[in-house]
Amino acid sequence: MPRRTDRDGTPAYRFLGVEVTRREAVFLLVGVVVLFIVPDLTTVSDSLQLSVIHQGLLFGFAAVGLNLLLRHTKLTSFGHAAFFGTGAYATAVLARYAGVQSVGLLLLGAIAAATVMAAIIGVLSLRHTGLYFALLTLAFGQLLYAIALGQSALGGSDGLPIRPGPANQPLLFGTAFSPDVYQVLTYYLTVVVILIGLFVMYRITQSPFRNALDAIGQERTRARFIGLPVRRYVWVAFVISGIYGGVAGGLFAVVRQYIRPEETLFFLRSGDILFMAILGGFRTLVGPLLGGVVLVFLQDVGQDVTQYYDFLTGVILLILVYGFPRGIVGSLQSGGIVNTRLGELRREPSVLSTWGQTAVETTERKLAESMTSLRIILFGAD
Amino acid sequence: MLEARNLRKSFGELVATDDITLEFGKDEGELVFIVGPNGAGKTTFINLLTGFLSPDEGEIVLDGEDITGMSADSRVDAGIARSFQVVKVFEEMTVRENLRTVVLTEQGKTWSLFSMADGHEDVETKVEELLARFRLEDAADTIAEELPHGDRKLLDVAMSFGLDPEYLLLDEPTSGVSTREKEYVIETIVEVGRAEGVTTVTIEHDMDIVTEYADRVVALHQGAVHGVGPPTMLETDDELRRLLLGVGDDE
Repeated sequence: MPRRTDRDGTPAYRFLGVEVTRREAVFLLVGVVVLFIVPDLTTVSDSLQLSVIHQGLLFGFAAVGLNLLLRHTKLTSFGHAAFFGTGAYATAVLARYAGVQSVGLLLLGAIAAATVMAAIIGVLSLRHTGLYFALLTLAFGQLLYAIALGQSALGGSDGLPIRPGPANQPLLFGTAFSPDVYQVLTYYLTVVVILIGLFVMYRITQSPFRNALDAIGQERTRARFIGLPVRRYVWVAFVISGIYGGVAGGLFAVVRQYIRPEETLFFLRSGDILFMAILGGFRTLVGPLLGGVVLVFLQDVGQDVTQYYDFLTGVILLILVYGFPRGIVGSLQSGGIVNTRLGELRREPSVLSTWGQTAVETTERKLAESMTSLRIILFGAD
Repeated sequence: MLEARNLRKSFGELVATDDITLEFGKDEGELVFIVGPNGAGKTTFINLLTGFLSPDEGEIVLDGEDITGMSADSRVDAGIARSFQVVKVFEEMTVRENLRTVVLTEQGKTWSLFSMADGHEDVETKVEELLARFRLEDAADTIAEELPHGDRKLLDVAMSFGLDPEYLLLDEPTSGVSTREKEYVIETIVEVGRAEGVTTVTIEHDMDIVTEYADRVVALHQGAVHGVGPPTMLETDDELRRLLLGVGDDE
């Protein structure tokens, strides 16, 4: 049962090791409810599509895993699609060549394959940090992409269907459902997996293991000299984050029932996953998940509105980096920029004109700086 | 006992450590100070002992066991801790979290993925003890980055002590600390070191401090041992005085 505790004077509740204030509990509850009623919401409005939100959540889930590395060990992996793709392809291969029909078994296969892949890629790329680590992960990701593209057994650029058995689809609870019901049921399965995944990740980020990862991320040398075998810890974190990607990829395959290399293994997917984590707020637990939904949604809407939807992504990234470096969830949190600004505005509405002035001044200053940089680049001197 | 046997290390042409043979901790809990002009190879020597660098030749022996090939983190487990000349703490953690991380690591609890980091009572007790010992209680919830320099140095040293070492190698624990705080930092180190029976090897430029606290002084010059002796050596050895003063001891 929930137990009442106290956090810095605010009453909080503790349950299964999760500690939340009343405010946070409300957000949590609303979030869970929203997740569960998405299939109903999408029947109300045409602009919302279940498949789009579902896909956003799955990539967002991969981003939650990536975030363990990004947030704590400060390593930027540029190849997380490798694990998403490994999970997806493992599912497809099991369905096609081993005739596995059960969704549960397919997902276990995805987890196993992603774990092995992350273990191998981890050992090979974690010899380096920073740029070289990012490049190595990118390289391994592309390697897998090339393999998937080149192997006819893996379907080449056409991809593979996931339609095992006489029912022509994976079985949930040993039963074949009609396509509509199947979509909704797999969505609920995703929600359950996500909730469990978030809970596990939350517990990991409260554990001594997280202290070790933080230590490594913040001062690697010192971490070694307090007795941490640094590479082993980072490797385990890498494998855990890969497993999240594998689960997401496996679910993706089960849901879509068809996978292609571009959707799952291409390096731009790795970029997307990284972008989702930053967009949602990589210093938060649920940020990457929300980032996933928002990004996939925007890409989908953008595709309808304009041919240049990549432009849209670019603009969002710029706004994010300059205006909201803490991401969506990070900015909305107490102490985040949105909350702080709203508070100021409520206390003193005239602060608006000050902001306007600061904005103009900053723009002027930045422009001047840019001109100086340009002069230096063009003429070699100021 | 921690021994260096015929250690050699060169970087290209430069011989940073030239056949050093030394013993520490024959008397348990002794306070050894390493002195020498800039470039004498003091830091390199500590780097070799702690596994930050590996020697070109020679052995490092801990209680009779050759640990020359042992990794840095295993040496910490074996009881050799160190600090760095430039403060190396976990900048985004509070003082308490820094110490907690150290104690969790020392007690081998960092592989626990599902316990609460702040839920281990024995760890918390130890953290509170360290906070009190190093008079950091008031700063306990301050982010390391925001600490005044003296406290950062203290935290750095407290983290090393938190590892329960038998041997502690400190690389200029008072560098960059104001004269007023210097006494305070070094006194705390000496006090805790003596109380815990830790053999402490400290690089120090301030000769007043060395004279006041050292049990034994090791003087290095151009990578080699110039002399080993009681702190009075600093007064009696004219060549050593010239070496140290010639380059300046005001760092």
